Amino acid sequence: MIEFGKRRLNNPEVLERVRDELQRQFNSSSKVVRVCTGPGCAAKGASRIYELFCEAVSQHSIEVEVTTKVVGCHGLCECGPIVIVQPGEIFYQRVEEPDVPEIFRETVLGGRVVQRLLYEVPSTGKKAKKANEIPFYNTQERIALAYNGLIDPTSIEDYIAAGGYKALPKALTMMSPEDIIAEVERAGLRGRGGGGFPTARKWRSCREAKGFPKYVICNGDEGDPGAFMDRAIMEGNPHAVLEGMTIGAYAIGSSQGYIYVRNEYPLSVERLRGSIEEAREWGLLGERILGHSFSFDIKINRGGGAFVCGESTALMASLEGRPGEPRAKYIHTVESGLREKPTNLNNVETWANIPAIINRGGEWFAGIGTEKSKGTKVFSLVGTVVNTGLVEVPMGITLRRIINEIGGGIRDGKRFKAVQTGGPSGGCIPTEHLDARVDFDELTKLGSMMGSGGMIVMDEDTCMVKVAKYFTDFLQKESCGKCTPCREGLSQMLHILERITKGEGEVDEVEKLEQLADLLAGTALCALGKTAANPIISTIRYFRDEYDAHILDRRCPAKECRGLFLYEIDAEACKACGICLKNCPEDAITGEKKIPHVIDQKKCTLCGTCWEKCPFTAVLKV
Amino acid sequence: MYALRNMLGKMSLHRSVKGIRKGKPVPIVTIDGCKVRVKKDATVLDAAKKAGVWIPTLCHHPAISCDAVCRLCMVELDRGDWRQLITACNYPVRRDIVVYVSSEGAKQARRGVMELLLARAPESQELKVLAESMGVKETRYPNVTESQRNCILCGLCVRICEEIIGQAAIGFAGRGVDRTVAAPFRQPSDDCIGCGVCAAVCPVGTIKVRIHQDQQEVEISPFKSRAKLLVCEKCGAPIISTQVSERVLGKVETMSSEEFRQCIRLCPKCRKLQTAVRLQATKIYNKE
Repeated sequence: MIEFGKRRLNNPEVLERVRDELQRQFNSSSKVVRVCTGPGCAAKGASRIYELFCEAVSQHSIEVEVTTKVVGCHGLCECGPIVIVQPGEIFYQRVEEPDVPEIFRETVLGGRVVQRLLYEVPSTGKKAKKANEIPFYNTQERIALAYNGLIDPTSIEDYIAAGGYKALPKALTMMSPEDIIAEVERAGLRGRGGGGFPTARKWRSCREAKGFPKYVICNGDEGDPGAFMDRAIMEGNPHAVLEGMTIGAYAIGSSQGYIYVRNEYPLSVERLRGSIEEAREWGLLGERILGHSFSFDIKINRGGGAFVCGESTALMASLEGRPGEPRAKYIHTVESGLREKPTNLNNVETWANIPAIINRGGEWFAGIGTEKSKGTKVFSLVGTVVNTGLVEVPMGITLRRIINEIGGGIRDGKRFKAVQTGGPSGGCIPTEHLDARVDFDELTKLGSMMGSGGMIVMDEDTCMVKVAKYFTDFLQKESCGKCTPCREGLSQMLHILERITKGEGEVDEVEKLEQLADLLAGTALCALGKTAANPIISTIRYFRDEYDAHILDRRCPAKECRGLFLYEIDAEACKACGICLKNCPEDAITGEKKIPHVIDQKKCTLCGTCWEKCPFTAVLKV
Repeated sequence: MYALRNMLGKMSLHRSVKGIRKGKPVPIVTIDGCKVRVKKDATVLDAAKKAGVWIPTLCHHPAISCDAVCRLCMVELDRGDWRQLITACNYPVRRDIVVYVSSEGAKQARRGVMELLLARAPESQELKVLAESMGVKETRYPNVTESQRNCILCGLCVRICEEIIGQAAIGFAGRGVDRTVAAPFRQPSDDCIGCGVCAAVCPVGTIKVRIHQDQQEVEISPFKSRAKLLVCEKCGAPIISTQVSERVLGKVETMSSEEFRQCIRLCPKCRKLQTAVRLQATKIYNKE
């Protein structure tokens, strides 16, 4: 292999020549084993599998040329670790250490498929050989995640060979900054961090703002519980973010960028750091990029773990070294942001979409999606669906299709109850709105929001009051405490919800919650506080009956709130094994051999031990 | 303390005196139907003062930067087809705007915030008086936190200590509902000079200056910071903390008047007596 990294690329033509050379090289070694080391697969031991493949390759290196690659998240985390073997793009799932020699012998060397490791499509029972034969993948449309699972995120050569860094030279040589902004405007791209503000308008305001220097920031402080979209991009395709930021900086007139990553993502930090280093060596970042007069560099800042630092002004305060607390945004950050200079902040996913828009044109991007929400959106689909993982879908797809087709429906044959979108400040959407189309405005109308793309699916066993309590508790803990409504209001709301879930709620307390929610939405300082009541408001709106059941009947319909339901033993199912009897800490269960056991409700403290221990599920919640 | 208050007042006056630039259009703010002109980037609160409309505030002080944290000064801004709640204390006027202070929406927002504050600081008389003037008799909410009772976390003390005194002896610790104002590690601060300006600006009377006569010390509660007191050389009454007097003397060094130095060693009462004695000794006084 030629060592390209040793020299800087001084003009776009050299980059193209290098790309051709790299593609030739990669095509010659046509046998590639790609091991996903995204968060989900890594947790299931993917890195060990990668090592085993490397060992296997080194032992056979004389006979055949095989490349092993670490790649970013494929999305189908439920079935990890995932290994894809080229040629044939054979998709192996749930690969374990003992499977490695078999895959290597059969598929890599022999070109045969190991049937038992293929994904079985539940609806047809057929084995899927390739990813695009799996419903989870073929309903998706990937732009931001296009290279995820394909390229080695630690290698700039891989990104360039796959077509990366095509947009940057195009933007620098063939487009003026205005042209770039106009292209992004044609694309109709809206901020993927949650607010959905038109990206081009933000860029233009920042470009036109007085003040020097100007800054661009990438917000990688992804803190929503159960969300890992930005993480997957930063770890799976970091160069797309860098390329997007460089193009944006050129359009805005900035020469300094920052990536703010939460410190809980050490791998993201490592990958980004490595990529920045590589891009600098190649002359794609730093002084005189690709020989152009434009210079731009990026610094990484790690967050300290505060959720509120995902809010733009708090993030900037944190970047400046002050406590991460938001400020009033009556003067926008594009006018006076970081160090009181014009600052343009976008989310990781927004930046990652930019290269594709420049390459393929705004019109192509605008062709995907709905009237006001264009392109695609990455969601992390979690909860009680069959296929949990990372999905990228075109805007306008219905929630039903995401949950049923991609997610594979609800686990264990349970009934769907609600889907929570938009992170902790989002809302819960019930069954009757499942046909709602996923776009910024539609979700807001339903009392939820797009947010950064968390999607938590809940089944019939979920108590919606408890869900509201969970998110309120999260936000109350994450509130910075700066402004009165958020600090005091959230703790008051949590106090009420705690009382309700304990069965101590009073009749007027739902109205009290609604009033507090109104107050928060109107008077809180930042978006965290303004939207903090969404989980409460949306659950009251769609599941008022559950609140009433808790308050009026002192009963939890989903049987989740301890104390608001009873345990009973189903006499028919009980095999009189005596396990519950032995385990009951209060001796509340009576019974003898061959006689179904009975719980003495007066003694029962509702601890749930019998329910957990019963091997025949004869203990019921009633 | 009053002298300090006056001083702060004058500083703010000095800030707002800056003239309106010639030729620039002056925005008109319509507050509850009353039209006033203000210079560009003045706040809605400035305009309201000019119009003679009262807006309750807690965390706002003209001498120090505005953080808009108490959210008590909510007013409604006319946005055409809808009204946006804004904080009057920091909303900059950049064009002609219409705001409503006494509209139902604005009143309700302010009352809601006040109720939350009352739940936080149930024992503050100052807060009760302000609440009553806003028509809030009591709060519907219980006190849900034991963290720093009766402090509404407006941050005036923190900001004034940093911005005016330059000591930054206190700051915020913790977050969310457990946020408190404290010196580092919640220990008595070495940086505190015992000036008591935090107590002077505290709008709810939670910060108190306590004089410990026997130890000749001043304590700033609840921060437990203590400073030695300068006592009157004649009567022994406490005057001011030694650190504050050193600072003041440092500022008047150019005068290098030994008399002034002597003066500050007496309490105001003794100083008056001393002046009277001296006056008596003068010829003019004797003639009459």
